[in-house]
Amino acid sequence: MAAHRHREREREMESKIEAATGKLVVKKVGGKSTVTRCFSKYPLKFIIPNKVGSSETDAVWVYTLTYGGGIVSGDSISCEITVADACTAVLTTQASTKVYKSLGSKSSEQILEAKIGSDALLAVIPDPVTCFSTASGRHESGEKWDFELYRSTNHIFLEGDQPLFLDSVLLEQGSITNIAERMQDYQVIAMVILLGPKLKQIQIQVQENVRRMMSEQLYLPSTGLRPHGKTQSDHFLAKPSFVVSCSAFGPKGIGIVVRIAAMTTESVYRFLQHQLTGMETLLGVSPYS
Amino acid sequence: GRLAPGLRSFHVGGPPEASTEANVSHGKEKQASVELPLHWSEWQLLDSILPTGGFAHSFGLEAAIQARLISSPDDLRTYVIHILENTGSLLLPFVCTATTSPDLETWHKLDRMLDATLTNEVSRKASTAQGSALLRVAASVFTEVPSLKKMREISLNFGDVAFHHAPLFGIICGLLGLHRGTSQRAYMFITLRDIISAATRLNLVGPLGAAVLQHQIAFVAEAMLKKWKDRAVEEACQTSPLLDTVQGCHAYLFSRLFCS
Repeated sequence: MAAHRHREREREMESKIEAATGKLVVKKVGGKSTVTRCFSKYPLKFIIPNKVGSSETDAVWVYTLTYGGGIVSGDSISCEITVADACTAVLTTQASTKVYKSLGSKSSEQILEAKIGSDALLAVIPDPVTCFSTASGRHESGEKWDFELYRSTNHIFLEGDQPLFLDSVLLEQGSITNIAERMQDYQVIAMVILLGPKLKQIQIQVQENVRRMMSEQLYLPSTGLRPHGKTQSDHFLAKPSFVVSCSAFGPKGIGIVVRIAAMTTESVYRFLQHQLTGMETLLGVSPYS
Repeated sequence: GRLAPGLRSFHVGGPPEASTEANVSHGKEKQASVELPLHWSEWQLLDSILPTGGFAHSFGLEAAIQARLISSPDDLRTYVIHILENTGSLLLPFVCTATTSPDLETWHKLDRMLDATLTNEVSRKASTAQGSALLRVAASVFTEVPSLKKMREISLNFGDVAFHHAPLFGIICGLLGLHRGTSQRAYMFITLRDIISAATRLNLVGPLGAAVLQHQIAFVAEAMLKKWKDRAVEEACQTSPLLDTVQGCHAYLFSRLFCS
């Protein structure tokens, strides 16, 4: 995945940079992508292995780790990464990010801001964010999607602050609709963005795979609505356990976004693993393998 | 900026002064149209008989049915409410800003931003199809607002304006003299109208049942409006990722009645 983002308001940016919990710069040193600047402060830590995957692949992997294993109320973790021209960097988390119930009214946030040079590649491969309704972090019965608010924003800008991809998802418990009702039986949502000419082949393959998968899953039920509620357990009429769609975006469709709603985390991992194996040549290791 | 050289400060203006516009555009015609209460235009704009092609779109309902997400009248009601909530959170900011500043530059900025915001290809294409049709019709119908025709022609010449629906709906309301409270409520109304219509054509509900459902949901729609109105476009967000994912599957349907 390649992402390019450039903030519009300079003053806001400067104050955010000063407050940043982590900063990374990746540049070419001796012809190889190298981390030339690495700063982090509590609760964020970066782990940069010497070698990940094939030594022939020019890619630097950075693992991020949050002390305490999770985010609690009031935490604001921001990370800024610059990937210089022709470099490849991979940013990933060491384990799932766990977000615990906020104490009081404070909410917690994680911010990533990235600048990507020309012919450069940044792959952001996070593990899932799991929202727990209790501080103990255990799902008690009937507590699916039982949190107050979750907001996820992914903005991508081209040179000159041209908006390319503005995605913002807000899941908030409401008096009229609650989150569990909106999500039905789907416990997991995911989004994959593949952007840029380096990923063209993978984009084409993923679009085709998704189309094939879903074409089999979508069909007209044989009858209209029944007045007495749901039909009996009839496999033919059961919801698909994995729903995925793929959309092109941007001029000449330079990007694709894949959206997933699934009943299990495992099925999402399997899907990502399968769809992204082609990334191995670019990153040295296949993501989610 | 996107305006052509010489047009940088071109301003197509707000609601027309009734008397001067009528004099300029109608020449010898009597001034009877000057006295026309706004209701006539407002009701015509919201009437489903206006040929804007809204009936080609199901707001993801057809895909939801084929994914077996809708198997009871309660499911339909829930679906409509979730779509209305998402309309509020994602699109009302564009309607609101456009109504308040119905000028060319604002419109183009909103159009570009919505083009980046509608990341779902199915809904993005539906938006441009409906928006183009709406502007074409409005420019022909509301001739007392010559800026509609002018803005349309200029934008067609530019070639990179997408003609998204929500900003255009807001622009037209603004130029007709409607307040942003009205235009946002109207946008919720036409969304409800069109999904209910799609539901009857998909045989989920009969015409009378549809009418009953529409009125019941109106109370919910009003609550949604109160919650989501008058927000800035920077705050636009989507609230139903499952429905967004499902609507994105529309292109994979083997047999379909609707475009989206």
